[in-house]
Formats: sequence, structure tokens, C-alpha cells
Amino acid sequence: MAQKQTGKSGKKGLIAVLILVALIALFAVIYTVMSPSASEGSKALTIEVIDNEGVTTSYSIKTDAEYLRQAMDETEGLTYDGTESDYGMYVETVNGITADYNTDGAYWAFYVDGEYCNYGIDSQPVNDGEVYTIEYTVYSY
Amino acid sequence: MKYKSFISVKDIALIGMMTATIEVAKDTLAFLPNIELVTLLIVLYTLFFGKRILFAIPAFVLLQGLLYGFGLWWIMYLYVWPLLALLTFLFRKQTSLLFWSAFCGLYGLFFGALCSLPYIILSGPAAALAWWVAGIPFDIVHCISNTVLCFVLFKPLHLALGKLKNAWF
Repeated sequence: MAQKQTGKSGKKGLIAVLILVALIALFAVIYTVMSPSASEGSKALTIEVIDNEGVTTSYSIKTDAEYLRQAMDETEGLTYDGTESDYGMYVETVNGITADYNTDGAYWAFYVDGEYCNYGIDSQPVNDGEVYTIEYTVYSY
Repeated sequence: MKYKSFISVKDIALIGMMTATIEVAKDTLAFLPNIELVTLLIVLYTLFFGKRILFAIPAFVLLQGLLYGFGLWWIMYLYVWPLLALLTFLFRKQTSLLFWSAFCGLYGLFFGALCSLPYIILSGPAAALAWWVAGIPFDIVHCISNTVLCFVLFKPLHLALGKLKNAWF
């Protein structure tokens, strides 16, 4: 099979390698263009925390943070903790309230301007005027 | 009355061996992100043993689920690996080492895109796209490692499997 390479199959192999290289370059471009990026400069943000009793605490900050985690670090009165992973921090505790998914399906859900957040706090870019909501949520089966 | 078996005892033993080697290859390299031999083994086993791989893949996927839990990734495994066998079967007449190296590389490159499909249903196309784009660097690593591993190991494994097949089948 692979031991006997005819000129035709060798040519096909070369074409396949060229396609592969072109696609790697294309994927790299897609990643560069479409991956989350942040604007720099002073940004006014609102972070809302809705706790396990439905009580909302609102924080307004001005920051140069690029990503949400840094903005949360700079927010006075807001505390959080969690588990570090390859994908960034998985937030488990906010303002002293721990959401334990393994016990009752509870987790801290993150929203940007009301839309569910697609990224972790380490890779979620922050932009001027945005409202970040951190809501204690219980997953119902 | 004699019945012709759908599958022989030799086939069953072979399927067991294929499953075991895929499983061991997977778990041995599990500590290296996106560097794996499962793709290469499924390609080679499909080329040599044809339809028998269709029994080994479900066994491997089931074992993975039992070992690591039946999460969303497990749903992805249900179609990702059979699709690889199917594509290999379609290109089975190709004989170029470069072709198969590029084939394995391409599969690694598109692995994230294939795995993002359940997110279209669960979270919508935007979330699936974001999930795929965020993982592109990992897909590129997967692509390069698959290409290199296939380029280096395809011929010796091909030779060994050829000898095995001639001796037993």
C-alpha cells in the first residue's frame, strides 16, 4: 500500500500537503481576526451580582482592564474565588456565596448586556458601557 | 444444521486487540494536549481490517465513557471516530505516505470544528463558532502532531500490520 508510491499518488500526496498548509494558514487568520480582543483606554463598566436570594448588588467602575477578571479584581467590594484551569478560572464563590454544582446544580452564570457569556472571565474582553451580570443559577434537570 | 457466522472467532479476537491498542494509545498520551495516536490507529485498522473497525470504535468509545464519564465530549466521540473510519474507507485506494500524513493532519485541524457541532443545538451557532475559534490554536497543534506522527509511524506500523494480516487472515 504506502510502500509503493506511484508518480500519480505522490502528486496527490503533495496536493494534500499543500491543502493542509493552506488550511492551517486560513485557520490562523480566522483565529487572529475572530478571537476575542479588547479595546484599550478608560472604560466605564457595571458589574451586577445577583445572589442566591435574588438580591442584586451593583458596582460601577472605571477601568483600563482588557479582560473581565482584571475588572473584577479592581472592583471594590466585589470578592470572588474559584478553581484555576487551563481555560482560566472557574468561578465558584462570589461575595462569600459558594455555588456548588455537584451538590445542587448551582453555578455562577455570567452575562454581558443580558447575553450569556461565551468566554471565561480570563478571556472575556471588557468594553466601555457594558453591563456584566453574575447570577447565582441552579440548573434544573 | 450449520450456520455461517456473521463474525468469526478470529474477528472477535482482532476487534479486542484493536480496541485495546487504541485505548492504551489514547491513555498513554493523554497527558499531552492534542497529541494522540488514535487517529493514526483508526486509519491503519480501517485500511487493513475494513468493517471490523466498526466494532472496535464503539467498544473504544464505550470504554472511554466508562473511564471518564459520559459527558458532552462523549457525544462527540460517537460520531467523530466513526466518521474518520468512513473517510478513510472512502480514500482507501490512496497509497502515498504524504497523502495519509496530510489526511491525519486535516482531521486534527477540523477536530475542533467537528466537536463544536453539539453546541449549535445546545447554545446556538454563535456560541459554537466562539467555542471553535477559541480552540483553533489547539486544533493547529493537533494537526501538526497528527501529521508528524503519521509521517514517522505510518510505514513501520503498515509493515507490521501487513505481516500480521498475512500470518492470520
